[in-house]
Amino acid sequence: MSAARRGPGWAADLALGARLVFAGGRNGLLRTLMTAVGVGLGVALLLTSSSISTMLDGRSERTAARDDQFFGGGQPPPGDQTLLVTSADTAYRGIQIRGRLLQPDGTHPPVPPGLTRLPGAGEMVVSPALADLLASPEGTLLRPRLDHPVVGTIADPGLSGPSDYAYYLGTDQLRAGGGTVRIDHFGSESTSEGLDPVLLLLVLIIFVVLLLPIGVFIAAAVRFGGEARDRRLAALRLVGADAVTTRRVAAGEALVGALFGLLAGAVFFLVGRQLVELVTLQGISVFASDVKPSPVLAILIALAVPAVAVAVAQLALRRIVVEPLGVVRRSAARRRRLWWRLVLPVVGALLLAPLLGGIDQTSGAFNQVQVIIGVMLLLIGVAALLPWVVEAVVRRLRGGTVSWQLAIRRLQLDTESSARMVGGVAVAVAGGIALQMLFAGVQHNYVQSTGQDVSRAQAMVLVHDNLAGAALGPLTERFRAVPGVDGVITTLDVSMTAADSKPDEYGERPAVLLRIGDCAALRELATLDRCADGDVFRAVDQDFPDQTTPNLPDPGQRMEVGFRDPATATRWALPTDLPTVPVRDDPGAGRVTGVLATPGAVDLAALRGLDGRVFLTADLTRPDTIELVRNAAAEVTPTAVVQPLRATAEANRFAQIRRGLFIGVVATLLLLGASLLVGILEQLRERRRMLAVLVAFGTRRSTLSWSVLWQTAVPVLLGLVLAIVLGTALGGTLLAMVNEPLRLDWPSIAGMSGLATGVVLLVTAFSLPALWRLLRPSGLRTE
Amino acid sequence: MTNTPGPDDRPLLSAVDLHKTYGTTSALDGASLHVRAGEIVAVMGSSGSGKSTLLHCMAGIVRADAGQVRYRDRDLTTMSDAERSALRRSDFGFVFQFGQLVPELTCLENVALPLRLGGVRRREAERRAAEWLGRLEVTDVSGQRPGEVSGGQGQRVAVARALVTAPRVVFADEPTGALDSLNGEQVMRLLTEAARHTGAAVVLVTHEARVAAYADREVVVRDGRTRETVLAQR
Repeated sequence: MSAARRGPGWAADLALGARLVFAGGRNGLLRTLMTAVGVGLGVALLLTSSSISTMLDGRSERTAARDDQFFGGGQPPPGDQTLLVTSADTAYRGIQIRGRLLQPDGTHPPVPPGLTRLPGAGEMVVSPALADLLASPEGTLLRPRLDHPVVGTIADPGLSGPSDYAYYLGTDQLRAGGGTVRIDHFGSESTSEGLDPVLLLLVLIIFVVLLLPIGVFIAAAVRFGGEARDRRLAALRLVGADAVTTRRVAAGEALVGALFGLLAGAVFFLVGRQLVELVTLQGISVFASDVKPSPVLAILIALAVPAVAVAVAQLALRRIVVEPLGVVRRSAARRRRLWWRLVLPVVGALLLAPLLGGIDQTSGAFNQVQVIIGVMLLLIGVAALLPWVVEAVVRRLRGGTVSWQLAIRRLQLDTESSARMVGGVAVAVAGGIALQMLFAGVQHNYVQSTGQDVSRAQAMVLVHDNLAGAALGPLTERFRAVPGVDGVITTLDVSMTAADSKPDEYGERPAVLLRIGDCAALRELATLDRCADGDVFRAVDQDFPDQTTPNLPDPGQRMEVGFRDPATATRWALPTDLPTVPVRDDPGAGRVTGVLATPGAVDLAALRGLDGRVFLTADLTRPDTIELVRNAAAEVTPTAVVQPLRATAEANRFAQIRRGLFIGVVATLLLLGASLLVGILEQLRERRRMLAVLVAFGTRRSTLSWSVLWQTAVPVLLGLVLAIVLGTALGGTLLAMVNEPLRLDWPSIAGMSGLATGVVLLVTAFSLPALWRLLRPSGLRTE
Repeated sequence: MTNTPGPDDRPLLSAVDLHKTYGTTSALDGASLHVRAGEIVAVMGSSGSGKSTLLHCMAGIVRADAGQVRYRDRDLTTMSDAERSALRRSDFGFVFQFGQLVPELTCLENVALPLRLGGVRRREAERRAAEWLGRLEVTDVSGQRPGEVSGGQGQRVAVARALVTAPRVVFADEPTGALDSLNGEQVMRLLTEAARHTGAAVVLVTHEARVAAYADREVVVRDGRTRETVLAQR
C-alpha cells in the first residue's frame, strides 16, 4: 500500500490522520481539545522555564541600576551633582522593605531609576506594593514607622519586580561616614557570583527533575483519547492498511494534536504572562515584560513537542500493528517485557558510577552532560518500569468489594493509560527525593551556626546615629515600653584614642572602643567578678591576648573620646584602678576588646557621636512583637537595624536553590495533577455509557466514586514505592558523588510522598462532580 | 418458581399519561402502558418514537416531566433517586442493545455484579451467576472478558445478568439489535423461556416484528404516544 503511494502517499496518509482527529464529531473534537489543553499546559510550563534566565536578568539589571553601595574606590567629594545616601531597610511581617534616605549636596544630584526627582526633606516616594500595603488595614502597624507624606510612586525601572516593597525618603539630617555614602550616580555593573560545583550539580539536577516530568506529562497528554484512537487505527489496519501506512496515519493524528497543543500552550503562556505580576513566590515577583522565552529554547520546544508526540504515537502502535483484532475487541494486552525497561536505569547508574566520589567540592569540574544523561535515564526508568510494575502487581489482585473489583479489573485490562498518567508524578517524586537527600547531605556545608545565643536575647537593635550620651536611659526605656519585651540591655559605643597619640602613615590615630553600659549590660560583654556603677574595665580576648592587649590603654591614661569629630570630642582620664577582664561573646556573637565603662565613670551628658547596641529579651512568637520593636527603633532613627537573633543561618544561594526546588516540585506536581484530572475525565467520558448502564442496575454513586479513587490510587501507590526505591538509589549515588555518606532522609521522603498523595486526593475530589454528572441515566440515550 | 403464573388482571407496573421532553424535543407526549405480572409486552416504534424513553421512565431510570409510574402500589415518580436505585437493584433487571457488559469484568463477574450490588457475598454471587450461565448455555465463556466472546454469547450473558437477581420485571431495550437473526432468535427464546420460568414480566423494546412475536401483547409508540395494536393470545 505504502510502496505504491510513495511521495504524495506520505502527505495523503498524514492528511488522513489529521482528518481522523476530527472524526467522531463532538467526541473527536472534545478529545482533541483535551489533548490540546494537556499538551498546552506542558508547553506553557516549558516556555515559562525557558524564560527563567530573562526573568532573572531583568530583575538583576534593575537591581543593579539602582545600586548605591559601591565597594572599592573612593567616594566623590561633595558637589553640585552628589548625593548622600544611607540604607534604611526594614522588614514587616516577613516582607523585606528596601529603604533609602537621600540628601542632595547640590542642585543637580543623581536621581535613582524609577523617580523623576528626589523627594524633598521629610517627603517619601514609595513602590506601588508598599503604597498598597500602607493604605490597607494589613499595614496598620507599618504606618507609624513610615509616617511621612508620600509625594510619588517608584516606576517599574526602579523596582526589582511588581511586588517589590521599597521607598526613598528625603532628609537633611545625614552626615557622611558610617553607613552613609556620597555618590554621584546610581547603578553598577550587574554581576553574578558563580556557583560552586555542588550547587551547580544541584541546579542541573533540579532542572532535570522538574523538566522531565513535564516531558512525561506531554507524552501522556498526546495519548489522551488513546483507546478510541487505537481502535480506529486497528480498524484501519483490519481493512487493509499496511504497517507503514498505519504509522503515517498515526503520525498525522499525533502531529495535529501536538500542533493544537503548541497553540494552546502559546495562548496559556501569553495569558499566564499577564497574570504573573499577581503572583509572589517566596518574596520574588517578576514583571510580565520580563517573561520572555529564549528564542533558541522556544524553537526547540516548538520542534520537540511534535517530535515527542509522533514518537509516542509510534511506540503505542506496536500492538495495533501486531494484533489489531485484539485492540478492536478490547481484549487484554499481552504481558509487558521487563528487560528493556531495566536497561534505562541500569545504563543511567553505569553513567553515574564513574563519578562516585569524583566531584571535588572546592575546585572540581565534572562532566555535566554525563550527569544529566545519567540522572535522566534513571528517572525515565521510573516511568518505563511503572507500567510493568503495575501490571505485575494488579495481575495478582483478586476479590474485594465491587468498587475494588471494578478498579482492579479495569487496571488489569488497561494498565498503560493509568501508569502513563501517574508516571510523571512518580518521576517528580523520585527526583524530589533524590534532591532532598542531596540537600540534606550537603546541608551542613551551607547551614552554619551563627554563634548567636538565643537563650540570652532574642533580638538586637543597632543604632548608628550620633547618639548623645544622655540617650542611654531613654533608649532603654523606649524598648522596655514595647509590649512583649521582657528585658533590655543597652550599651553605647564610641571610639577613643590616647590624648597624646600620633597619626600613622595613613593619617589615622590608633582607636580603642569605649563601650558604656550598666553592670548588667557589661556582664553580657565580659566576665566580671565584681561591678558597681563608676567602675571601668579593660576587656581583653584571652584567646588572642597578644594581639589585643598591646592596643589597650594603660590605667590613668588620658584619652580623647569621640576624637574623629573634634567639635564634639571630650577628654577623659582612665582610672588608675583599671582591672583587666576577659571578654565573652555578646548574645549577637560579637566579641570586642576595649574599655568597658559604667555610666557613673564617664561624663555621659558631654558625650556625642555614640552608636547604640540594644539586646532584647522578648517573646517573638507573640504576633507583632518584633514589629513593635521595629517601630520603636524607627522612632529613634529610620536607619536603625533590628535583627531577630538566630542560632543558624543558611547560605543565601543554598536557601534560594532549596526554595526554588520546593516551588518547582509543587508547581510540577500541580501540573501533573491537572494532567491526571484531564486523564481521569477523559476515561470517564469514554465510559459514560457503561457508567449509565451501571446506574441503571442501581449501582450506588459511592461504589463508583470509590472505584475511581482505587483506580487512581493503586498505580499512584505503586508509583510512589518505585519512586522511593529509585529516588533513594539516585539520592545515594548523588551523595556518593559529593563524598557524603548515605543518609536516608525520611522527612523528605514522607514529605514528597505526602505531596503526591495530596495531589491524587485533590484530583479525585475534583473528578467526582464530573463522575456524578455522568452518572445520569441520560447516558443510555442513543437517539 | 417452576409454575408459570398466568397474567393477572391487576397491573404490576403502570405508566399513565407520561410526558418527557429533552431540550426542545418531546420524547413522550401522554404515553400510558400497563404491565401485568408475568406478562411479556413488546413496545414497538420507529427510531426516535420515544419507546426507549418510555422504558427508562417505567424503570425509574429517568423521571418523567409529568404523569405517573406505579409499581406494586408505589409511585416511582415521587421516589428519591436512592429509593429508585434500590428498587432497580432488587426488583428490576435490564438487557441492553450490544449487551453493555462491563468490559473489564469476566462474564461470570458481569452476571454476579447485580447480586453483589445488592449485598450478596462474592462467592455466593458467583455461584448463582454460574448457574445462570449454565441455563443460558454460555458456561464456557464464564472466565472470558466480553471483548473475547461473540455477540450472541455476550447477549446471552447479558440476559443471565438481567435475570440473576430473580427480578419481577425485566426491561429489554433492543436486546437483539446487534445480532444476526439466528442469534437473535436464540437470545429471545432463552430470554422469554427464562422469564416465564421465573414469572418475571418483560418490557421488550424493539422495532422488529419477529422479536415482538415473542410477546403476549404489542404496544406501538408513535410521536411519544402509545397505541395498543394487537392483543395477542400466544
